[in-house]
Amino acid sequence: MTFFTVITRGLIRRPVRTGLTILGISVGIAAVVALVGISRGFSKSWETGLKARGTDVVVSNMVSSLVPKPFSASVRDRIAHLPHVDATCDILVDLLSIENAQMIMVSAREWGGFSWNNLKLISGRMPRDVAEPAVLLGRTAADVLKKRVGDKIQIETSELSVVGIVDGNAWVENGSVILALPMFQEITGNQNKINVIDIRVTPSTSAKDVELLCEEINRLVPEGRAVLAGENISKSEAYRMVQAMSWGTSLLAVLVGVLGVMNTMLMTVFERTQEICVLLALGWRRGRIIRMVLWESALLGLLGGVAGVLIGAVGVKFLGMTPAIRGLLEPDLSMSLLAISVAIAVAVGVISGLYPAWRSSQLVPGRALQS
Amino acid sequence: MVAVFQFGRRPKNPKKILKAIAAEKKSGRGQDASAMSSVLLAPATTLDTATAAPLRYIFEAKGIAKKFDDGQVQALRGVNFRVSQGDFLAITGPSGCGKTTLLQMLGALDRPTKGTLLYRGNSIPDLHDPSSYRALEIGFIFQAFHLLPTFTALENVQIPMFESRLPRSERRDRAVTLLESVGLGHRLKHFPAKLSGGERQRVAIARSLANSPSVLLADEPTGNLDSENARVILELLIRIHCEQKMTVVLVTHDMNIAQRASRTIQMKDGRIVSDRESINAGV
Repeated sequence: MTFFTVITRGLIRRPVRTGLTILGISVGIAAVVALVGISRGFSKSWETGLKARGTDVVVSNMVSSLVPKPFSASVRDRIAHLPHVDATCDILVDLLSIENAQMIMVSAREWGGFSWNNLKLISGRMPRDVAEPAVLLGRTAADVLKKRVGDKIQIETSELSVVGIVDGNAWVENGSVILALPMFQEITGNQNKINVIDIRVTPSTSAKDVELLCEEINRLVPEGRAVLAGENISKSEAYRMVQAMSWGTSLLAVLVGVLGVMNTMLMTVFERTQEICVLLALGWRRGRIIRMVLWESALLGLLGGVAGVLIGAVGVKFLGMTPAIRGLLEPDLSMSLLAISVAIAVAVGVISGLYPAWRSSQLVPGRALQS
Repeated sequence: MVAVFQFGRRPKNPKKILKAIAAEKKSGRGQDASAMSSVLLAPATTLDTATAAPLRYIFEAKGIAKKFDDGQVQALRGVNFRVSQGDFLAITGPSGCGKTTLLQMLGALDRPTKGTLLYRGNSIPDLHDPSSYRALEIGFIFQAFHLLPTFTALENVQIPMFESRLPRSERRDRAVTLLESVGLGHRLKHFPAKLSGGERQRVAIARSLANSPSVLLADEPTGNLDSENARVILELLIRIHCEQKMTVVLVTHDMNIAQRASRTIQMKDGRIVSDRESINAGV
């Protein structure tokens, strides 16, 4: 028998209460995994999408919302001639409700721009010309919209043809409806407006030069902000707010977990008062009693954390398959997030056990002789 | 080292006091941890003849008093007594006379409000580390057994050994030996709920011997048992006392049990009213 045996016996003596407490912590941790995983996934999906398009620098105005604010297409003229700029591609991107999909990414690209190059046809063909009323669907978008090549698709008031299904090599790309820029500008009444400029820098441009290029663009273009691909979302205030809300909601759930564990451990200490007094009478040091309560509490947290990570991961995968989210983002279930979640759970356990442990250390061994 | 604390020149560091006590114990019965035959048959602490006289008394109480509830209840009122090494002492008296309070003082579970209480010449209330004292010097036996319900008999006996720093395998082996010695070798993996009252108390006795203590303190050890089981438990305590020359202090209000002790102290209203050798002592 080891000290660990003593700790586990303390937990299994009330299996229902222990189980419910673990469930309570796991719900809190599942909330952390799900909410933070989704918000992180949103940023990561954008980053991989941009990288898949071969974009090194992106110019957009992401300050106030998750969708960039439109600006004049003439901005491109101020950028295209700058040193180290290899190519640019104007884009108008929006989140729209299309037919049965509550929210789907529509990405309208400059005809002939490099951002079309990463798209690989799975079926059908590319649009013939800029004037053809046609769209390409990412493979997930086709699945979500239940469309095949040859079907019609209603975007706002216009009906367009699905001419091809493509693989864009990134979650966001695969979840998008892709069409020529002028067509979408006309449909949405955003003539001559864009909200993203993808920039590809010349090969062998140093990181320092890319940084200087961003600074130069920011000086020349007050309408938008140039940042390295992938950083644009994380610098958005809206995204930061979503992330803060995710953590806030998660922490509330965790706080409920703390109270749950504290309640359980206090009950344990009260229930085992005489037992603890007997242990003291048998010569156990107060430090050992404190360690026993804290380890029990930490073990509760650990078990709750592991269960929470599993529930959260399954839940996020399930959420990712729902029509509202499918194709929009790939939840980030990185090892770091899972490890942080388990660490939070263990910390919850230890913090919750502090007061009960202190209470247990205040017990008087003489009570052991009171039958 | 023994002489240092025996002759009143006590080490200032209380840890040293306990070390000295442990060293003395070791010199007397260092071989008693390996097997039950040696646990029960181990010689009592043998003191150097030059130092034996001052340490003849394992406990000395001088005018100890204890008040509870801000002085409204006075459990002990100036108690004086001495317990010699190897005594089998019964403390008797009606409920509320202070006998359990006295036992608590001897076991460092509580402190006297007034007076001096010494263990081998060292003040019990002033022990720096009462946990070590309780773990290594004292074996407790309770009326209600107080076995931990989620642990088997074997595990219950190992509980006090966490403070002894014995390796895990040795803890287990020693617990098996102790349980076999109290006739429970066939009940090692039974939980307390599956044991009879007598068996539970035998497990508790094995537990009290876990760290080879010098003294057994028993609070009404037969109080929750039928007469047959009470007899078995009493015989077991007497056997341990005889084979190990172990000092036993037993609180009881059963005069039949008290008569088996070598010495009986009778208490009333927090005072000792009689202190005599038993005529029909069974030990």
